[in-house]
Amino acid sequence: MKPRVSGADGKSVWRLFWQQRHIQVFALAGVAYLAVFSVIPMTGLVMAFKDFKLQDGYIGIFTSPWVGFKYFIEFFNEYNFNTLVRNTIMISLLKMIFTFPVPILFALMLNELRGKVVKRLVQTASYLPYFISWVIVSGFVVVFLNTQSGLVNELLVKFGLVENKVNFLSNPDMYWPMAVITAMWKETGWWAIIFLAALTGIDPALYEAATIDGASRMQRIRFITLPGLKSTITVVLILAIGNLFGGGLGGSNFDQSYLLGTNGNREASDIIQTYVFRVGLSDGRYAYATAVGMIQSVISVVLIFLSNKVAKKVTGEGLF
Amino acid sequence: MKKSYLRKTREDIIMDTVIAIFLAVVFFVCVYPFYFAFVLSFNEGVDAARGGIYLWPRKFTLENYQTFFTDDRWIRGFLVSAVRTVLGTVITTLFTAVVAYGLSFRKLVFRRFYLGLVIFCMYFNGGLIPYYVTLKMVNLINSFWVYIIPQALNLFYVIVAISFFQGIPQELHESAKLDGAGEMTILAKIILPLSLPLMATIAIFSGVAHWSAWFDSAFFIQDNGLRTMGYLLVEVINKSSANSGVSSVASSAQASISVTPLAIQATAMIIAVFPILVIYPFMQKYFITGLTMGSVKG
Repeated sequence: MKPRVSGADGKSVWRLFWQQRHIQVFALAGVAYLAVFSVIPMTGLVMAFKDFKLQDGYIGIFTSPWVGFKYFIEFFNEYNFNTLVRNTIMISLLKMIFTFPVPILFALMLNELRGKVVKRLVQTASYLPYFISWVIVSGFVVVFLNTQSGLVNELLVKFGLVENKVNFLSNPDMYWPMAVITAMWKETGWWAIIFLAALTGIDPALYEAATIDGASRMQRIRFITLPGLKSTITVVLILAIGNLFGGGLGGSNFDQSYLLGTNGNREASDIIQTYVFRVGLSDGRYAYATAVGMIQSVISVVLIFLSNKVAKKVTGEGLF
Repeated sequence: MKKSYLRKTREDIIMDTVIAIFLAVVFFVCVYPFYFAFVLSFNEGVDAARGGIYLWPRKFTLENYQTFFTDDRWIRGFLVSAVRTVLGTVITTLFTAVVAYGLSFRKLVFRRFYLGLVIFCMYFNGGLIPYYVTLKMVNLINSFWVYIIPQALNLFYVIVAISFFQGIPQELHESAKLDGAGEMTILAKIILPLSLPLMATIAIFSGVAHWSAWFDSAFFIQDNGLRTMGYLLVEVINKSSANSGVSSVASSAQASISVTPLAIQATAMIIAVFPILVIYPFMQKYFITGLTMGSVKG
């Protein structure tokens, strides 16, 4: 029997299915897997409206009594609701504004560099941070910023920029800059790869023609390189907006907030995601935490659809 | 080419200088933290706490590494991470390839539905708590397998692999079929060998993710014997950042008085980063392929 189907007309779907059963098994393994690890958790979202207790197990999600929007109202009345929302939005926006242009700038500079070996060396170094985890990054932050032997504090004092060592790690005013800078450090090199790839697609004849016409280097960048990058920039920007509240391109908000957050800077570092985790897994308020998480998910879903729509309009190609 | 075409203008000189300085700074900023942690890991902890170390260890010692490799918790964490990385990488790569292979047949019945499900699950999830409840239901909480099974399918690479497999000539499949090969044989003997760059890309990314994972170990595991090295690192980092305000480090309960939490942290960081640095030169070739393959789709 031939599992590959040809001239399928007239045969019933199930007969075809049976004929390709050897291949269907492969696909169905994936479907079964997704059913357990993706679809079932999605159905679990119902618990946001239920009086769910963990000891009732998964079935308890459906058998427990409805409570309507009780948990949502509870969250809106939560004493640190404003702080959580403010931090989530501000950290996400700041990261977007500051970390998005840097890879483009970096790619442009690398592109202008003439020495091939140097270019390769710098680029190789630049995406190294992408491959280490946020745990290691937070380790570096502690190594460099601690008040005892931290290099940054030492140099600040040495050059007389500050009188006393700055307690970066537990100062709420320092958390946002720290979040932006570490995200920049970790992701710039990686995203520059995409822009560099787009740069190689620009026709060199354009540059030659422009040079002969007397265009300066700045003008060439302004009128050839940047327009050549336009569609790539649009696509990446849209991807980043879709994951705005996850922390932009790298989706770093939770890791950062959890790992760099201390009791000292909680008022600036606590975001909805860490709150969900804390009240959910630590305090055991499962249904409430699900409801809170759902608010952010809904906003994110709206953002994904909106950005996808815009993507289709601008570039003619959406993500789905 | 005219001569003036090659001559450097003043603008050129200024730009080249600015670019050179900027890129030098980028290079330094990206590399130095690794080097500095490396230096700290070979320096005596109490001595390092005095500060003033920049390029070389001041009081060279192997004590930090000795402490690390004689501490049962670290050794266990190291082993758990190593086992999960090897096992997890193999399983993720193969399972992703198997599923993508099935989905790559254009005439597969219900293919639209399957692909729709894959895309849907790629963008949406039930959030942390329902996920936790599900893991609990399937008895993965507090089990080593929670490190492996929930990560066994990488949907992004399923999509990438489908388009990759579709680029392989169908005649290969048909002739193997005529020779009596089963689907599994065709996948193992023909498709996978032809997709080595892609398989390497998947393996690298899932390997790196497994090696540095900490989240699942922190929240889905209660048994301290099953903690990954990533989790232990989080612990020691919290410890040394809490310690940084205190002037005396002698109070910390370490095996040796001269080994500080910060020194152990630097050592553990170097040990955690080391395998990544070792495979880094080899993996570059592949991940750039992987990234551009993905961006074509995206």
